[in-house]
This record gives sequence, C-alpha cells and structure tokens, in this order.
Amino acid sequence: MKKIHELHEHAADFLAREALMLDERRFRDWFALLDDEIDYDVPIRIAMRNYAEEFPPGAFRIKDCKAHIQTRIARLESDHAWAEVPPSRTLRVVGSVMVDATERADVIEVVSAMILYRQRGHDDPGDVIPVRRHDLLRVSEDGFRLLKRKALITHAVLQTPNLGVFL
Amino acid sequence: MINYDLIYPGNPDQYLDDLCERVSQGMDEGLLPVEVFRDDAVFRAEMERIFTRNWIFVAHTSEIPEKGDYVLRRIGIDKVIVTRDDDDQINVLLNHCRHRGSELCHQDKGNTRHFKCPYHGWVYRNNGDWAGAPHLKDAYGGPLDKKEWSLLRAAKVEAIHGFVFASLSEDVPPLREYLGGAAWMFDALFGLHPDGMKVLKEPERFVVKADWKSGAENFSGDAYHVSTAHLSASLSEFIPGVNQVSSLASGYDFGNGNSFIGHALPELIAPMFDLWGYPPEYRDQFDLSQLDEVQLEMLKKVPPTIGTVFPNFSFLRFPQPDVPGAMPIPFTSIRMWQPVAPGVMELWNYELEYAFLPESFHDKAYMAGQFGFGSGGIFEQDDTAVWEGIAKVAASPWALSKGMRLHYQQKRGGPDPDWKGPGEFHPSIYGEYSQERFWRRWVKEMTEGKRASKHAEPCDDQGGCQ
Repeated sequence: MKKIHELHEHAADFLAREALMLDERRFRDWFALLDDEIDYDVPIRIAMRNYAEEFPPGAFRIKDCKAHIQTRIARLESDHAWAEVPPSRTLRVVGSVMVDATERADVIEVVSAMILYRQRGHDDPGDVIPVRRHDLLRVSEDGFRLLKRKALITHAVLQTPNLGVFL
Repeated sequence: MINYDLIYPGNPDQYLDDLCERVSQGMDEGLLPVEVFRDDAVFRAEMERIFTRNWIFVAHTSEIPEKGDYVLRRIGIDKVIVTRDDDDQINVLLNHCRHRGSELCHQDKGNTRHFKCPYHGWVYRNNGDWAGAPHLKDAYGGPLDKKEWSLLRAAKVEAIHGFVFASLSEDVPPLREYLGGAAWMFDALFGLHPDGMKVLKEPERFVVKADWKSGAENFSGDAYHVSTAHLSASLSEFIPGVNQVSSLASGYDFGNGNSFIGHALPELIAPMFDLWGYPPEYRDQFDLSQLDEVQLEMLKKVPPTIGTVFPNFSFLRFPQPDVPGAMPIPFTSIRMWQPVAPGVMELWNYELEYAFLPESFHDKAYMAGQFGFGSGGIFEQDDTAVWEGIAKVAASPWALSKGMRLHYQQKRGGPDPDWKGPGEFHPSIYGEYSQERFWRRWVKEMTEGKRASKHAEPCDDQGGCQ
C-alpha cells in the first residue's frame, strides 16, 4: 500500500505539471509525455436514466492515436487553425485524484476530475468544460507516460463550439 | 451579450416584409443584408414560417429499428419524440403532455410501449394515442377520447432511403416531389445497396455561436472556403492537396435551396476515387441497376460530396484517411443545423454507412468522419470559428446602421447546356449560384409562410391540430 500511496503523490504531481504544460501551450513537451500506444478517447454522452447507458459503446467525439495527436499539434502550429486563433487561454484544475494498481506491474490507473476553463477569442466570456478523466499511466524510468486517457465530458451537449483544446 | 437589433420604424411584421424585399433585391445584385444571421424577429419568423411548415429531417430509420424504439429529436426549437410504434409505423410527436404540458420523454433514446407524464401521470401509447390517467373514474368519470387527446403528431411523416422527414403542416407535397432533384441525388448517394444505409453511432451535439443558416448555406455550395479556412489540414500534412479542393469542384443545383457540391475525385486524388473511392471489393456489391446513365456518369467523374436540403439538413461524403498517412476511404456524415436562438445553433453530427459493409470498414469510416468533422474534427473546428463572426456582424450597430451587405458576386461560368439530369450542373463551383438559390428559397418561405400563418385554422383539439 505504501507504494500506491507514493504513486498517488507522483501521479497527482504528474497531472498538475501536465495541466500547466497544456495551459502554457507547450504541446511538444506534452507530446513527449505520451506513450507510443496512447489512446486518447473522448466519448459521446447522451441523456439516459442508467449511468452505464450514457456512453453508447464505441461512440466518440475524439479517439486519437499518437499520429492523430501529432496532426493536431502540427495543425495548431500552422497559424491557420482558426478555432485556436488567437489560442484559447486556459486553466485546468485537476483534483479528486485516485490511483489504483492494474494487472500490469508497470501500469497504474488514475482517475481524476478536471475543470477546464477556456476563454476563446478576445473578449467573450469563457467556456467551462468539466471532465472526469480515466487515465492509464505507464511507469518508466523517466517517469510516467500517458498510455490511455478517457475524458468523460459532463455535458451531453457540448457548450463550447469545438474541442480545439486537449482535455 | 446583447442581442442587438436595429430600432426599426414600424412593427416587426413590416420590418420582416421589408427585410425579405431587401434580401430578394439584394440577391438580384449579389448582395445579402447581414441582419438575416442574427435577429430576434427573423428567428421567430423562421420558426413559424419555415420549420413548422416544411419537410424537416428528424432521424434515420436505422436508429429506431425495433417496435417501441424512439429517439428524442428537434423540429426547430421544439423537442419531438420519433417513435416506431407497435404497428411498425413511425410517428413524430411533440414531447409535451396534453394535460398540463409537462415533458414526457427524458431520455435521448430508448424502447417503450408507453410514455407517462411525470406530473399527473397521463399515459400515451408509442403512437401518441392517449392511453390512460390515474384515478380515471374519480377524476374523469371514464376514459378520454384517445385520438382527441393524443400527443400532437406531425401531420406527415415520410422516409427516403431511411431518412425520415416530418412536416407539421398537412399542406406539403409528397416528400419525393418536394425534394425534386435532391431525391434523384439521394438515390445516387444512399440507394446503392438493397440493405440500405445505417447510422453507425449516436449523434454528437455541440453549441456553436453561429446562425443555423451559416452551416446550411456553406454546405449548399461553398467549396471556396476550403483552401483558406481549412489550410491547416494541408499545412499539417494531413491532406496535402486541400487547397485544390475548390478548383476541382462543381455544383448540382436544383433551384430550390437544395443543392450539392461534386468533386472530380479521380482527378483530385487518383483514378480509383470514382464512386468516392469505395474499395473495389465493396463497390462490386453495389447494385447500380436503379441508376440512370447520368447518375452513373456522375459517380464515375464528379460524385456528389457535400449538399444541403433546405432548410437544415446537410451531408458530406468524402475520402479521407482514418489515420494520418493511411489510404483515404469515404465516410458519410450527416449534420443538422438546429436553431437555438438568433445567431446560435446546435450542430448535430453523425455518420452512416452502407449496412452490408463489414464492421471493420464501418469503424474506419466512423474514425475518418469524426477526425475530420466531429466537434474535435480538424476541419469542422475551423468552420465553427469563422461562422461566429457572421453572427457578430449581424448584430453590429455600425454594420446595421450602414445597411452592410455581404458579397455574393463571384464570376459565373454558367450551367452545362448539355446536362441531361435534373436541375442544373455547373462545371465550376465558383459563382455562388447555389447560395443565391438558398436565399431565394428562404425569402419564398418567409413570404409564403407569413400568409399561411395568418390563415392558420384555430386548433380544434384534435391530436394533429391539422
């Protein structure tokens, strides 16, 4: 258990640093934190009585592998990604971090809550994107690598016009 | 933020009459008054004159395959339940109880034989008929008339290749006739296999601070924006040739606000991209025997890739890699530009595919569609941003006080005189002729709809209020 407790501290630190990196738009640094097998998944949510049915199997807004994310970052760097011109000013607040072991010795499961505040454009009021993340982190000698992220957006109807920011 | 409308002499009715006249005259000159994109009076009139009296797309039959299945959808700003009832008929019902008006259906989809109101417990069958109420004998002395007190029901519901359209007005021609040349196009797009098409996953929805007409107009004939708005797709090396997409585009215009863009895909990408680039082993299973010669030629040379059916249904079928660097495969996305408020829409986006194709192909097509045109899609993101500005200028005191009008004056090469299909075929997409027709259709509905709503029969308490 001590190990899990330590891992919890490290994982929370990882998520906080990752959030700062994304807020400061250091996308290449963030990309380096991704495992080659990264599965970045933003499911579609619908209004249903049973929680399990809120996420129809296989339905997603985004489901990226590393090559997709590489394209997204190249796009953001192109200066022609109009959804992010000027880039959104963001604040990611990450909390409620829970860490559990998995069947794989080098992989831990990290669940967290993240509130992403995003002010787009110039003077419009910002959008709030509330997310519950279910992550898998691979533990390596160089620290954690993000192996899987399932970002469950609280909204069924997204209240920001696009997902031009990473969750 | 204030939803600024110009203070206009006269009443809103007069204002709308004048605006329709300005749009009509403007189109003669290739100019569009900006206020159509965000204006309270315009929005209210659109709800009354367009959405309650035209065929509106609501769902695909594959979303409600079993008896009792339903999905919650919209017609204009109304929430409607689209059901497949116990008799296998499709109904489009207003989601409000006839007793006190509460909402009955609170799930986006499901299967049920009855809808029960959470307020006093009135119950309706899945065809909308009134079915019962608690304490029936004490409260009412016996059952109510099941038709008289049924849920409000769309006057007409018809499907074409599984695409279900509903009209709240009885006074519409049959769907095929109404669609005109667009129905011929649906045959070529969605009628290539007897098993038909099926929806792959649930629609995704996102609120965009732009007017519904910006999306509809764009998909009606705007290939011109691609080389600028979507240049990042080229710069990121995802689709290197994206800046050529408008020069190799043509237009199929049916003259009534229904129009399609076609792309010379074999020329644009490679010879094998006739029939949108469906892989040979699959296209061999297509049944093209129902198509006429013009349709066959069209699919070989300039397949329809994008289109709008007035008012707010659009589709997109384009070859795109599912993963960067992979061979492009066609995906088919449908979108509804759902009005929410003046200058605000909810964009509904989802993919369909031919049902007979293997799941592995469905998965790839879904991936390709969502990576390009979902809420996180690398194309669609930028549309949502550029369209926002249109809704802003439409509420600009400066623009309105100067009568600012937008430029629809591209050079026109004219239609192909040898075209044998319905409507017109324009070899070049430049010219903004389809957009002009979209706006003329809009004026027509706003004008004819005014007369229709003035003469509406009072509701006789029958379920349909027909």
